[in-house]
Amino acid sequence: MSWAIEVQNLNVWYGDKHIIKNVSFRVPKNVIFAIMGPSGCGKSTLLRAMNRLLDLNPHARVEGQVKINGINIYGDNVDVTWVRRQFGMVFQIPNPFPHLSIYENVALGPKLNGLVKDKSQLDELVKQALQKAYLWDEVKNDLRKPASMLSGGQQQRLCIARALALKPRIILMDEPTANLDPVASSKIEELLLELKEDYTIIIVTHNPQQAARVSDYVAFLYMGELIEIGETSTVFTRPSNILTEKYVLGRMG
Amino acid sequence: MRLNKRKIIDRLMLGIISALAIASAIPIFAIAVNVYSEGARYISLNFLIDLPPPPVGGGGGGIGPALVGTLVLVALALAIGGSIGFFTGLYLSEFSHTRLAQYTQMFLQVMVEFPTIIVGLFAYMILVAPLKRFNALAGAIALSIVIIPYIALNVREAYKSIPYTLKEAAFSLGVSAPIAYLRILLSAARRGVLTALLIGLAKAAGETAPLLLTILGTTFTYFGGLDQPINAIPLLIYNFALSPYEKWHQVAWGAAAVLLTIILAIFIVSRLIVKEVKV
Ligand SMILES: Nc1ncnc2c1ncn2[C@@H]1O[C@H](COP(=O)(O)OP(=O)(O)OP(=O)(O)O)[C@@H](O)[C@H]1O
Ligand SMILES: [Mg+2]
Repeated sequence: MSWAIEVQNLNVWYGDKHIIKNVSFRVPKNVIFAIMGPSGCGKSTLLRAMNRLLDLNPHARVEGQVKINGINIYGDNVDVTWVRRQFGMVFQIPNPFPHLSIYENVALGPKLNGLVKDKSQLDELVKQALQKAYLWDEVKNDLRKPASMLSGGQQQRLCIARALALKPRIILMDEPTANLDPVASSKIEELLLELKEDYTIIIVTHNPQQAARVSDYVAFLYMGELIEIGETSTVFTRPSNILTEKYVLGRMG
Repeated sequence: MRLNKRKIIDRLMLGIISALAIASAIPIFAIAVNVYSEGARYISLNFLIDLPPPPVGGGGGGIGPALVGTLVLVALALAIGGSIGFFTGLYLSEFSHTRLAQYTQMFLQVMVEFPTIIVGLFAYMILVAPLKRFNALAGAIALSIVIIPYIALNVREAYKSIPYTLKEAAFSLGVSAPIAYLRILLSAARRGVLTALLIGLAKAAGETAPLLLTILGTTFTYFGGLDQPINAIPLLIYNFALSPYEKWHQVAWGAAAVLLTIILAIFIVSRLIVKEVKV
């Protein structure tokens, strides 16, 4: 089996605080892989270690390996911009560039990375990305308007379109629905199931129900340790660890 | 009864404080009123373009050479000090955890307080004395050094004010740091950066001390090259105000009104930039 991403003995520290403790797991291609766990257990940190976005934080230190296509992204001579281009990332709080238009938010990545040859290709790519994110119909007449005029749910789908326009292999999502209302949340969950056809999706959530609804595989992270990992149906029906059981039954914060 | 007494004291205190606040603003208004009432009447298009009048006889004349000089000096200072200050500010913001950035910032904060005549003296030593000639470049360098700390510290604030999540969004696109900072995040920080440049602009246009020992000033030459003396409006005001000629005093008042107008315009523009509705 070839894996979308392999994490081996990953450790992360913020200063002297040991946040991610010797975590290892592998994610198959074209699945939705959920990382669930209580608030503060290190989910966002783990996700940011996977595309080296953690490099932005001067106090963060990473040890261990993360492999995509057999290449350790923390190895010597690895270009960090190449690493990040393998991933599309969607954040906990929708964060479109507020000063840019809807169109520019999606077009910026492909343009700066030279993914397109001319304007018409770029237009097409933007359109496709917005369609895949189920936003096109709502914004096609407002492409030149600022992204800040969109609703929260629309902004988050715009961020998904922005990530898709990079043509990544893997999409990282950090609680993409945490700040949205139920209607907007379920729209995004439906969208995930569609996207799985073309991408591998790693989604962080502190909501076990959401993990149960959308994911094929799930990992349970608790205080920086990987407590349990497996097929979602198994983990939710026959958890092997008492902590996991408590968590999925909602008996833990 | 006691309540009333307290009310009276409150009122009294408020009255005193308000009076003091108004009093502190009086000098600014007095200066502006004075400068415009003495100088505004001389301002005309010709006044901006023409050579100064001969000390006695002849027409009203103008401040052409000084205005040209100020434009040249300010443009050079913004190009040199603006770019050095900008990149220093960006460094201070993004590497604020490093020793070097912390020391640099401290150094710049001291530089803000530095007597600008000493900056002029420094430029004199490195650029005037060796060339044995007062020159425009020395003035531009001195002004650059004066404005670098203002620009750097304000650009630092501008970049610091970008939400971390936007920074993450920019870098998650897989672009290099220069592209992230200059092509994506600069526009998110544009108000602060523009304000920083305008503060530098106002400072460069208004400073006199760094120019005294560097450009000397010319009276009847517009521009003779960067290695030659040049004039500037503040320097013209200084020189003409000290002269014994009534006509030059009038030109100095007119020049003061022009300079004040330039500074006020820069101030208003930077206010408008800050006020522009935040998105
Ligand atoms: N930049 C940082 N510097 C220092 N400590 C941090 C930093 N970011 C997070 N932490 C700490 O690291 C731990 C893990 O944080 P992280 O954000 O990864 O948790 P999380 O599981 O995503 O939580 P949540 O569900 O609330 O988003 C927390 O204890 C947090 O306080
Ligand atoms: Mg988080």
